[in-house]
Amino acid sequence: MNRTLMNIIRFVALVTAQVLLINHIRLGGYVHPYIYLIFVMLLPLNTPGWQLLLSGFGIGLVIDLFMGTLGMHAGATTLMAFCRPAIIRIVSGSQKLEMNREPNINQVGFPWFLRYTFVMVLVHNFTYFMLEGFSFHLVGQALLRILISVPVSVFLIIVVMYLFSRDKGKMRDKR
Amino acid sequence: MYNLFRFIQKHHFVILFLVLEVLCVWLLTLTQGYHRQKRINTTNDIVGGVYETGTHIGDYFRLGKINHELAEENALLRRQLAATIDTTTGFQEIVNADTVYNFIPARVINTTVNRPNNYILIDKGSADGIEKDMGVVSSNGIVGIVADVSPHYASVMSLLHSYSTISVRFKNDEEQIATLRWQNTNYRYGIVDGIPTHLRPKPGDTIVTSSYSYIFPENLMAGTVVELIKSPDGTLNQAKIKYATDFASLKNVYVIQHTSLDELELLIQNQQMP
Repeated sequence: MNRTLMNIIRFVALVTAQVLLINHIRLGGYVHPYIYLIFVMLLPLNTPGWQLLLSGFGIGLVIDLFMGTLGMHAGATTLMAFCRPAIIRIVSGSQKLEMNREPNINQVGFPWFLRYTFVMVLVHNFTYFMLEGFSFHLVGQALLRILISVPVSVFLIIVVMYLFSRDKGKMRDKR
Repeated sequence: MYNLFRFIQKHHFVILFLVLEVLCVWLLTLTQGYHRQKRINTTNDIVGGVYETGTHIGDYFRLGKINHELAEENALLRRQLAATIDTTTGFQEIVNADTVYNFIPARVINTTVNRPNNYILIDKGSADGIEKDMGVVSSNGIVGIVADVSPHYASVMSLLHSYSTISVRFKNDEEQIATLRWQNTNYRYGIVDGIPTHLRPKPGDTIVTSSYSYIFPENLMAGTVVELIKSPDGTLNQAKIKYATDFASLKNVYVIQHTSLDELELLIQNQQMP
């Protein structure tokens, strides 16, 4: 499928899922899982930097509009997009990746993807909860939220990746 | 000039990043502070429409529970009606209840409980007569105050908000008023400030709205006392309370319209003039 079209569909699907489903998860009020980060995480490895940044800013801003947190998600996601090339370098080590591909869990393997997801989510959540914490003077609570939310987000992202990549795997086998 | 372009071209990644982050911080400062928070909230019909569609889909899976809640409320209202008609409830109370406050039913289409400042989106707006600063209640207890309205939706500043303070009193003590605010951590519990030491609220005591407000009628359920927190310097005590409203599963609410609010505000305005 056309890569741009694929990304537009993914954008809409992730925003809808985040806003209408995932935001209703509230175990005791501290858990904030964010799966919309998948959009930025799955952009092809050779995506130009400016597209990466604008994608991060764009999806963050749309989420902000829905959640009434103007600037917070956009700021966190932009920083995450900015860090992505460095994170990929660090996480890869000596592992060689196909540069024109998406860093899909099937392509890169589970250990790589887990490390990648963990660092990306950590960068995002740290920025987001610090922005939220500083603006409301609740830094201690922000740290607690990070501690609880990061594992939940990572888990959900991995689950979503497995749910939606199984079909593609089968298609590749047939070919 | 050429060098400048070369510089931008070479470092466009970092420059764009900085520009976007500055933009984000600017957006963030737009929505900080009490008055801005009340004014610039993202109530608009597009966002409202998406949430409403989502709620409609979700509602099919909850019809049983919603029906049950409405039936319970009906039963409560019938009991109250019966009480009003056949006992000797004072004439004054009936007049107050019927003429001053009007209740507009609304549906909750989105709600948050896990942020430092929480808002509730409802499916009625200025077209239905909803205005800023109107009180919102559920069948269980008070919910919040309307912060912003668009033609068909309104966003309600929930009790779970760092700026939310409500004038309350203990049900068994008509005189002494206190202030209810959120303790900012758990969506089930709030704090009542300013309890004089001669009052000894016990766990389970009921907290209701006081009469010193024209947003909420008197005697609406706010919550029940969980524990008394003694002040270390022996002045005013606090009490931890459990909210009567379950904000996480809020569905049907009523917006309270004060029918003679204009008159009241005019009076207050005139009073302040020299």
